[in-house]
Amino acid sequence: MTYLAVAYLGMLIAIGLWTWTVFSRSNDLEQRLQAVERSIDTIEPEQE
Amino acid sequence: MTKRLAETILLLGFIGIGTTLGLAFLKAPSVSINAFESPEAQRIFYWHVPAAWAAFIAFGFLFVGSALWFFKRSDLGWRMHVAGAEAGLATGLMTVWSGMVWGSAEWGVPWDWTDVRLNTFGLLTFLAMFLVLGRQSQPDGVETRDTFSTFGLFGFVLVPVTYVATRLWQIRHPGPVIGGGDSGSLNGEMALILLLGAISFTLFIVGHMLMSMRITSLEQRLESIQEAMDKV
Repeated sequence: MTYLAVAYLGMLIAIGLWTWTVFSRSNDLEQRLQAVERSIDTIEPEQE
Repeated sequence: MTKRLAETILLLGFIGIGTTLGLAFLKAPSVSINAFESPEAQRIFYWHVPAAWAAFIAFGFLFVGSALWFFKRSDLGWRMHVAGAEAGLATGLMTVWSGMVWGSAEWGVPWDWTDVRLNTFGLLTFLAMFLVLGRQSQPDGVETRDTFSTFGLFGFVLVPVTYVATRLWQIRHPGPVIGGGDSGSLNGEMALILLLGAISFTLFIVGHMLMSMRITSLEQRLESIQEAMDKV
């Protein structure tokens, strides 16, 4: 039973890590996109 | 909206998977000691079967996405291809890993190279790995997408072969426990926990694929803005 519990726990941790990676990739990209869009908004009025 | 929906589905799936594993460990009835070398290891089946089910959903998604890109040049199709490949790799590894844990306990070896189902499923997982790593190492473009979509289209042939493998050539992998005729041996409680697992894994993988499609869309938007800025 011990090795089964370890295998189960390992698999849960693995999918937890995968999910966390996906969430952090999504948040990171969102922030980068917002930063780029903000910088474009700043540049455009200056050019006008 | 899509983000919230995807996150909610994914988290519901994750909680469901945790609950399934808890029930599998603490509530599921034990199997006959005489029928198995390692009866307790059988409980890994509540992870292994739903993970394989989720892998087939992911490979189906990959196939549809590849076809949509290849024949219609659809951007949505490409995003489905990317999401299906990533989800197929993750669920494929979950299935292979859990199967190897069970095989080690029950057969004494983690893998049997003569078993058709093990090998066709292993190949499917390798195909998904090739698609995920290949996409990351190549510049995005029509030729790259065409090449990987072709693999996604033809690789799908392995799905029906894997599904019927234990019916046609049962070597070592156990036969079907649902829809397998007289060989099916699930009692009510086992079937309920398995059903919860299947629903949870389905939610989990659908949530992941929606998140992955959103990530690809954000990457493409960022890339197109950066290209436009470089031209100015």
